[in-house]
Amino acid sequence: MRIAIDSEPRLLSILRGVVRFRAQEAGFSNSEAECLAMAIDEAAANIIRHTYGGRPDALLALEVRHFADRLEFILEDWGPKVCEELIHPRSLEDVRPGGLGTFFISSFMDECTYDRDFKDGNRLKLVKYLSRKGSTCNEGSSSQSG
Amino acid sequence: MKVQVRNLDKVSILDCSGDVDLYSSPRLREALLAEIRPGGPSVLVNMSGVAYIDSSGIATLVEGLQLSRQTQTRFGLFGLRPNARSVLELARLHKVFAIFENETEAVEKIGSTSSGI
Repeated sequence: MRIAIDSEPRLLSILRGVVRFRAQEAGFSNSEAECLAMAIDEAAANIIRHTYGGRPDALLALEVRHFADRLEFILEDWGPKVCEELIHPRSLEDVRPGGLGTFFISSFMDECTYDRDFKDGNRLKLVKYLSRKGSTCNEGSSSQSG
Repeated sequence: MKVQVRNLDKVSILDCSGDVDLYSSPRLREALLAEIRPGGPSVLVNMSGVAYIDSSGIATLVEGLQLSRQTQTRFGLFGLRPNARSVLELARLHKVFAIFENETEAVEKIGSTSSGI
């Protein structure tokens, strides 16, 4: 399935709802579905804040692909190219506001890659495997949500 | 998300409900910045109605914590649902904030603490 929304923060709840529904449908637990919803929410929020600079009238799209062993989430935007090298989780020792979104994405997802062949903006692929042990969600930081 | 402020004796309680995300966290920030001030009351955030909190919501709470230290205001959270608690634990912030189980404990502890929590 694929949905597209305007780059308005108030619409992020729609994406979270879609992700929770598809994740539970695919066999993920409620707590895992919450983790996935948060990861996608953070990725989409980054697009709104950083790629579009807070513009509410741009477009972003989410496609969810269900495979036997995994879910793939494809997020597309049509903003300036992201410099992938500059995106990395910050140290948790540094207690300050901001900068945790990338940390949560990398904690909850098994794979996170940009499609360099996507010409008109950015295409981010986030993958979560159904049975892979060792990620934060599967270990059952469990009730992890949001 | 809704934020309502209750003023008890020397303690302000911010009752939050709903999702705290990129859209709604500015409302929480506005309420926190209004309540945390030099010479002001202790400030507690009631998280029992918060079903979801993202990194922008957490950033808002961290900003409140930093402001509370600057203004020597006692500051804490209570009523965290498992989801919100897990997010704070994952970010290793659960030991940075003063976190209480419920309002009774929070008011009691905040009220009896002599310096900024």
